[in-house]
Amino acid sequence: MNNKILFNLLQVMVVMAFSPLVKGVVDRLKELVQSRCGPSIFQPYLDIWKLFHKDEVVSEQSSWIFRFTPYMVFVTPIFVTLLIPVLTDYPLFFAFMGDMLGAGFILALGGFFATLSAVDTGNPYGPMGSSRTRMVGLLAEPVFMTVFFTVSFVAGSTIPYIVQKVWIMPLSNFFEPSHILTMIAFIMLIIAETGRIPVDNPSGHFELAMIDESKGLEYSGRGAALMKWGGSMKFFVLVSIFLNVLVTPWGLAQGNNLGEVLLAVPLILLKIFAFIIVLVVIESSFAKLRLFRIPEFLVAAFITSVAAMITRFL
Amino acid sequence: MELIFILIIPIIAAALSLVPAGKKFAPGITVAGAVAVFILALRTAFRVVAGTELTAVKDWISADGLGALIILLVSFVGLTAAIFSWGYIEKMVGTGSLGRLRRYYCRYNLFVFSMLSIPILSQVSLVWVAVELTTLLSVLLVSFKNTAEALEAAWKYVILTCMGAAFALIGILILYWGMHIAGGGLFTWKDLVKVAPAIPPSLLKTAFIFILIGFGTKIGLVPLHTWLPDAHSQAPSPICALLSGVETTTVLYVILRLLPILEASTTINTGNWFIVSGLVSVGAAAFLLIQVKDYKRLFAFSTVEHMGIIMVAAGLGGFAGHLGAVYQILTHSLTKSLAFFAAGSVLLLVGSRNIAKVRGLIRISPLAGGALLLGGLAIAGAPPFAVFLSEFSILKAGIAGGHYLAITLLTIFIVIAFCALMFHINRMVFGNPAPELVKPTPALPLPMIISLVLAVIPVVLLGFYMPTTLNKLLLQAAASLGR
Amino acid sequence: MIAQSMTPTLLTQLNALTGGLFLLSTFGVIAMRQVLGCLKMFILQSLFLASSALLLSYYHSSLHLLAVAAITLVVKPLLIPYLLRRTVGDKVTSRREISQVLNIPTSLLIAAGLTIFAYFIAKPLIAYSGAGGIIIGVNLPIGISALLLGAYALTVRREAVPQTIGILSMENGAFFAGISIASNLPFIAELSAAFDALIIALVMGILIRKIHERVGSTSVGEMKTLREV
Repeated sequence: MNNKILFNLLQVMVVMAFSPLVKGVVDRLKELVQSRCGPSIFQPYLDIWKLFHKDEVVSEQSSWIFRFTPYMVFVTPIFVTLLIPVLTDYPLFFAFMGDMLGAGFILALGGFFATLSAVDTGNPYGPMGSSRTRMVGLLAEPVFMTVFFTVSFVAGSTIPYIVQKVWIMPLSNFFEPSHILTMIAFIMLIIAETGRIPVDNPSGHFELAMIDESKGLEYSGRGAALMKWGGSMKFFVLVSIFLNVLVTPWGLAQGNNLGEVLLAVPLILLKIFAFIIVLVVIESSFAKLRLFRIPEFLVAAFITSVAAMITRFL
Repeated sequence: MELIFILIIPIIAAALSLVPAGKKFAPGITVAGAVAVFILALRTAFRVVAGTELTAVKDWISADGLGALIILLVSFVGLTAAIFSWGYIEKMVGTGSLGRLRRYYCRYNLFVFSMLSIPILSQVSLVWVAVELTTLLSVLLVSFKNTAEALEAAWKYVILTCMGAAFALIGILILYWGMHIAGGGLFTWKDLVKVAPAIPPSLLKTAFIFILIGFGTKIGLVPLHTWLPDAHSQAPSPICALLSGVETTTVLYVILRLLPILEASTTINTGNWFIVSGLVSVGAAAFLLIQVKDYKRLFAFSTVEHMGIIMVAAGLGGFAGHLGAVYQILTHSLTKSLAFFAAGSVLLLVGSRNIAKVRGLIRISPLAGGALLLGGLAIAGAPPFAVFLSEFSILKAGIAGGHYLAITLLTIFIVIAFCALMFHINRMVFGNPAPELVKPTPALPLPMIISLVLAVIPVVLLGFYMPTTLNKLLLQAAASLGR
Repeated sequence: MIAQSMTPTLLTQLNALTGGLFLLSTFGVIAMRQVLGCLKMFILQSLFLASSALLLSYYHSSLHLLAVAAITLVVKPLLIPYLLRRTVGDKVTSRREISQVLNIPTSLLIAAGLTIFAYFIAKPLIAYSGAGGIIIGVNLPIGISALLLGAYALTVRREAVPQTIGILSMENGAFFAGISIASNLPFIAELSAAFDALIIALVMGILIRKIHERVGSTSVGEMKTLREV
């Protein structure tokens, strides 16, 4: 019991500590693949540290939402971390507080506040980005729902630990068509939700074309640091849901002792690194989609998830 | 043995047509080949009437009553159309390249080969391949004129019929599966009829619906008929005669072969399916005939109507209904080819396909006008021509069988179609000719006149007298449709 | 014997996987805008068809199906695209189709509906499958849905080459169902059907080139001069 609380806290600390590293690795790898040098992989840490030591400038016209949102965006991924398998494959202390649908809604809560805050300051680029983010979110919801419905119906439960045991523990289940199709649909969903190419360019600075980056436009100092950190934690959380629930059960601690759990830390980082390689290859191979083509991309993801459902149930 | 020669001769003729040996060589070879095939088809028919079935290669190549009838029709229309082409295509190509002429005859022969192979092959899967080949080998014939409209017609033709063929393919594969479950045997028509009672009805029904949709597209069942008026009017007239007269007939033959297989199961109401689809086609065609503006489209819609009538006749069931269907197949093929030859002559003389532009044809060219009048009357179903007798026998069979509603509707539609056809033909043949048409018109080429005469003879003859051999052939053909 | 080197369950799983990817590539044919992209999806679909035939030849220990797989592999992904591109020419295949009758997201949703309809059609038939039930239960519905999706792609597209690809993918679908339910069709039938697919590609390619020469564009959906009204 005590161990479980400890491991839960350990999980949260791992997510908080290593998500900027993951972001740094992604940026560096993308630059390397494109034959450029790229920043150091620890750069996000330095950025966050620098921002914490700067003053904040807040518009007078903004309301409490603007000040409240960075905390919201920072805290929601932490709540989700309590619910999902990151280091262990058995449920931890807080795991029964919410299931996968709950995790999805908590992340959506963070995104909701971020969208509102972008509108709050009166900057013209903020609402533009917000409306686009909402459009992408709207079309991504059916994919999310269908994937989790398929996966949970088969496993008989919506708790990620149980789903993982049913879906990917037996190796032969890995090659089932519904599983492969679900994986493809979820990768497309991650690309849409975290604002990667081909949906959005995360390293672009052109406000007219921003979708996901626009939420952090007006922030400075501590607010900006929290938004950045929260964004990278959301990425970490989504990827670990994907990897630990849908793809690879290996490398998760199965026993109850601290040594195994600590061993699971570099293993999860290794798995995320493998996924990052795939992501970077995808990002470097495609061009950013034009805005009105994004619904096509998301409908393709939806159809893939529906095909997964059909091949499973019919 | 004749059957194998029937298949080989058109291929040899196709190969020989490509030999650049002068203007008359390719048409000459084609006509010679067509004559040979026709004589062999007559021999086949006689032998089938004397016995029950002719087998060249067991389970692969054979011909029974219905098959022999179709072979006879294909070879006859192939012959008359080849003679017609001799005069017509020469005029169309003019002094242009002879290569185009040779390619036409080569494709013509291959097209006739593919149509001949449908009734001859006994394996159902090969029959499907043959049906696909009839489409593919005739596409470039339909687009022969190379105008934008001809190309559009050819495109619609190939797309819609290939789509239908793919549907029919899965129907045939499901039928094969059903036969396998029912105990096996070879995939020939005969063996299918034998094992039919043991095939699970749901499989049979699904296969039937797929094949009906698929091959129904090819024979012009409404609402899948949209390609038919275009293709059958844009093609050169001898090809139209082949397409309307015999190509639709051969595919209809394939659908009719399903009848004894389906009647083995009591849960599928085959008769109703056939009657309803037939009535829809006849009705739609009858109404569409009224607003037609192009006389070749007129005859094309008439094909849709007749295909519907044959489907209704087959659906009426019983020996009388089947006999009526087979009789209608015979008369329709012969009469439709005459109609298109007449239309081709008119097109050559007038230069336009528009009905409104043709007036007083009988004064301009008595031959063409007379042929058009005869062809129009015959295809509409007026006495004393053959089509009237066959339609009458169908109506009689229907009333005897008790299908009063179907027969009433059929009669109404036939009457509407008759009036529409007669209205248009009347306007074209009689009346005062337009001034620009009264200039001295060129005479029709001799081959065209010969083929017109050849085509008229059976149309008129069968209205009065049915040769006994032909009668026996019809009876045998009808018997193979029942169980 | 070859059949014993793979356990039945792994074989059926791989077959189901091939089926799922076959279905996905059929969706791809509808979703692709570029003519060349459509062609690539068709090549993928044919590859999956050939691999399914290969798997089934292991399952039934049938040399006949192996030959079918080999023929499919040579004809469909290789010869047909080559033939199409040669006869049609590069100017036509490098097009992208800007407008279809319905936009792509709606088309994909209708495609999903058609797939469910195909499963509905196939349901009463699968009851008769007996021993091969696991395989037929996967292949038959996917084959019928590929057939319906190809017919749909045909009606919705306006360009000539995607319509041709629609027809060829319909035949692919019919064969995908056919190799599971009619696995011992006479060899000459399979051979002639493959040959027939080749002739389809050839004839349509020639016709497309003629249309391109005469009309200047291959947007056949726009050719509406022959109409009743």
